[in-house]
Parts: sequence; C-alpha cells; structure tokens
Amino acid sequence: MSTTPARLSPNRVPFDAGRAAYIGLNLVLLAFLLLPIAIVLVFAFNPMPYISFPPVGISLRWFDKFFSSSDFMNALWLSLWVAGCVLVLAVLIGGACALALARGNLPGRSFLTAFFMSPLMLPAILTGLALFQSYLLVGIGRPVWGLIMAHTLVAVPYVLRTTLAVLHNFDRRIEEAAAVLGASPTRVFFEVTLPLIRPGVFAGGVFAFIVSFDQFPVSLFLVVPKGETLPVVLFNYMKFDLDGAIAAASMVSILLAIAVVLVLERLIGLKAYVKL
Amino acid sequence: MSSAAIKLDQVTKTFDGKVIAVDGVTLDIEAGEFFSLLGPSGCGKTTSLRMIAGFEQPDSGRVHVGGQDITDVPVHKRDMGMVFQSYALFPHRTVAENVAFGLRMRDVPKPEIARRVASALAQVALTGLEARKPGQLSGGQQQRVALARALVIEPRVLLCDEPLGALDRKLRQQMQFELKELQRRLGVTLVFVTHDQEEALAMSDRIAVMNQGKVEQIGSPTEIYEKPRTRFVADFIGEINLLDDGPKPRALRPEKIRLGPAAEARLAGTIETANFVGGATLYRVRAADNRAFLVRETHAGERAPRAAGDAVGLSWNDTDTVSLEG
Repeated sequence: MSTTPARLSPNRVPFDAGRAAYIGLNLVLLAFLLLPIAIVLVFAFNPMPYISFPPVGISLRWFDKFFSSSDFMNALWLSLWVAGCVLVLAVLIGGACALALARGNLPGRSFLTAFFMSPLMLPAILTGLALFQSYLLVGIGRPVWGLIMAHTLVAVPYVLRTTLAVLHNFDRRIEEAAAVLGASPTRVFFEVTLPLIRPGVFAGGVFAFIVSFDQFPVSLFLVVPKGETLPVVLFNYMKFDLDGAIAAASMVSILLAIAVVLVLERLIGLKAYVKL
Repeated sequence: MSSAAIKLDQVTKTFDGKVIAVDGVTLDIEAGEFFSLLGPSGCGKTTSLRMIAGFEQPDSGRVHVGGQDITDVPVHKRDMGMVFQSYALFPHRTVAENVAFGLRMRDVPKPEIARRVASALAQVALTGLEARKPGQLSGGQQQRVALARALVIEPRVLLCDEPLGALDRKLRQQMQFELKELQRRLGVTLVFVTHDQEEALAMSDRIAVMNQGKVEQIGSPTEIYEKPRTRFVADFIGEINLLDDGPKPRALRPEKIRLGPAAEARLAGTIETANFVGGATLYRVRAADNRAFLVRETHAGERAPRAAGDAVGLSWNDTDTVSLEG
C-alpha cells in the first residue's frame, strides 16, 4: 500500500491540471459574457450625464428619462408588438416546416432543410438590404407587416432547428399506439404529436422573440422615421447622446428578455428541453 | 370478448423497391388462438405483424380479419389491440389516461370509461397507480399498462411485438405466464412476434417459423420441436445435431442421444466440455470420426457425472432422427 499513496485517501480528488484549466476557462468565458452587462448595470444607475467610471452614486434618473420619453416608449411598444407577432408566426411556420421536413418523405429533404436554415447563414445586413430593395421593387414601401415578415424570416430557422431536434428523438411508436387505439391522423396529431413536440417548438419561439426584439441590421433598412424599433432608436440616440439612458434601456431590454423566458418556462416547462 | 380469425393471403412487402421483407406469406390464424411469429431479426415477422395492424401496406396479397378483407382499412378503424416492445406509452399522460385513451377515441361515456379503466388496471394488478406517469413506473409495470391499454377496448385481435423483450429473465418468465393466462381467460386472438424460441415454445398454440421473408414451417410447439421440416427450423429451435451421412440431412435432438460404454454404442467418442445446466448436463462430445455431437443427459440434481476427457459411447434410435428438406 505504501507504494501507492493515492489509494490511501480514495475520496480525495487529486489536483488535476486539466480540470483546473477547464474550470478556469469556463470562468473566463463567463466573465467575458457577464462583465459588460455588469458595466451597463453600473452606468444605468450612475447619475453622471456621461458614461464614466467609477460611479459617483445611485439614481433612477436614466430610467425615468427612458420611461418618460415618448420616442423610447413608442419604440419599445413597437418592438414588443413586432416580437410578439414574430413569435406566433415563427412558431406556426417553423413548426409546420419542421413537421413536413421530418415526416413528409419529401424529395431533396436535406437541401430543403439547408434552404430553410439559410437565413441563419446570410449576414443579417444583407438580408435587410435585399428585403429593402425587394420591397421598393414591389412597391409596398416599408409597412410594419413588412418588418414583421422580415423578422419572421430570420427567426423561423430557430424554431425549425429546435423542433427538428425534438422530432429527431421522437419515438414514432407512440403515435402508432395512438392510431391503433382508434385515433385518426388528426387526433394523433393533437393528442400525441403536438403535446410532445411543444417544448421544442416553444423553445424556438423564445429564440424567435429575442431575435426579433434585438434585431438591428434587418430593421435598420425596413423601419420608417417615427416607426422605429427600440434597437434602431437606441442606435440613433447613441449617435448624439451617450448618457445613462442607453444603459437604462439596455437593462430594460435584458429584463424583458429574461421575463419572457421565465414566463414561457412556467407555462410549458422548457426544462424538458435543456439538452438542446 | 369476441375474437376474430386472421388470414394473410400471399402477402408480399418490399422496402425501397428492393429489400424484400415479406415474400408471399400465407397464414391462417384461428379465432382465439395464441399464434407466434418466430424467427431471427430481419426475417419479416415484425413487418407481417405491422401489416396486420395496418402500419404497412402490402405490395400484393390481402389481409383478412374476421372474414372481412381489411387490406385497405386504415389503422385507426381496425379495432385491434397492440403492445409494443418499447411499450410506447404516452409519456405526458397518467396511467389512467393512457388506459382510457382508446375508450375516449370511441366516445365511450365518462362513467363507463372510469369503470372499465379501473377493471382493466385491476386485471393487470396495477390498482393504485392510476395517477402515476409512465416515467415513474418500472419496466414490468409499464408493460402491464401497455397491456391494459390494449385490452380495455376489448379488441378482436391482440398484436404483440416482442412485448417481453425489454424485461429481465425472471420478470419475463412471470409475464409469460400472466399473458398466456390472460389470453386464455379473454379468448382473444393473439399474434405474438418474438425471436426467442423458448418463449414461443412455452406460450404458443401454434408457431410460424420465418426466415428471409418466408414461412419455413407452421405447427404446434411440439411439432416444430420434434419434427422440424427444414434445416433452418431444426437449427433455430433448441440445440440440434445435424447428421449429413445419408441421402438427406437428418436432425437429432441432444436429449435423444444416450451415453454409455463405448463397446455397445454406435459411435465412440470423448467428452470435450460438460456444461451443467441444472438437472441436466449438456455435453459436447467429439466422436472418433471427428464429428462433434451435443448430448443432453438428465440426472437427479447431482452435478455432471461425467467430465471432460471421459471416453463415452453414443447411441440413438433411428426413429428419433428427423429427415430434413434441406
């Protein structure tokens, strides 16, 4: 035994350089992700009229400015409204697409999948420019529904991907069991298929909402003056004023995104879907 | 519960236009019979079952149930019960909701559903677990839920696709008895797909042994075991010695060979290995002409009375050998 001292204390994990490096790398990545948010938080509550460090105190003046500005509020409501519509549309279109791709026995299925996923691969600024030119060409101008359509185009791949992942792991015997018990194809869909893929579809829906709510490059081309979404308004504001209102607006955006995730988690249990 | 006869008439099924899964299979399954489809994986047994259920459409041939051609009837109108190997329970529904599903699809009134679900669960000894989700049950319990769910609709036919395959040996044996008993009590026609020959021999009224999409032999378990018609059947069911010394190959079961002194025997040989299997020993004997024989010798519980290296003589009666077709 004396030749193998490590065996004497089997419960103590010996120092492992690889493991330490792994944990260290994760901490660095986490800091890289979260520190900017912490900085925004600091600036949002700092009363100075310009972005400065260290903060001199705590105030809500920037939040007050954000919430009392009709420009910001109109943009916020427009963004929420657009993102809500995009969520619904992306869930319907992406969900249906995923079902057709996974179940439809379509020829050229992998090509179609790549095609529907392609908005993810194109630079969004290109998508925005292309849509802007197309809308001009067709002569529809830049209506809100055009913006919603554009966001939906970019958001559908997220729903498609999460739904395809669920469908891929789906035991089709469960549907067969329902059919043999007397459920028509329609009833099989509503009684079995839909409830079982719902977590995947809604996880995609959350992404769709956030992608739309955060969308800047596509929106840039498709909004009209006085009808701009929050990211565009913030960008324009930043060009001339760089005060804490930007930070306050960012905090509100972050909190809204978290709220959406939490509400959906409560409603449908995204936990079932963490293995995304 | 009324039961129905099943007839497959020259049924053929090809996948992707080239792989022949089922090749001109004809089966006459009687009403109330426990009928097994037995064979190695890929022999077409599951595809045959899936054609009876309606999940697969035959390329040619017809499927009849209760004297009625149902080849073109969709799955959900066939009125059959089915138990899957993976159980295929609805994971998002409770045990009671799983069992109630078929009744709900038939628009049975609620009080009657409650009554029938309760009695179906009592039948498979699951009373008290109504509110559980399938994920909270053991494999054996899930199996029973699947059985109750299939039987509660009082189907004319119960189809079972390797339903006991996922259970451990002890539980499997217990479920074999229970399933057999339940089938006899309800009188339902049961089609049972398995690759386990012991299971098929133990439970079935009749067995169809399948190989490469074709039926090799149909018969009672005794017939299949005692009088295999082809080399494949002889080889697939239990242990067998194939004798290739005559004009036709012959099969000889290990328990039909007697071991004794070499002087009075047909063949002299040496024991190579002795496997004690409890109450009997399976010997592998190398004969003087270098052929290997399997011999099963029963004895009263003692461990093998012979050991590797012992010289023995092999004898058998010619009437115990079975001529095979090829």
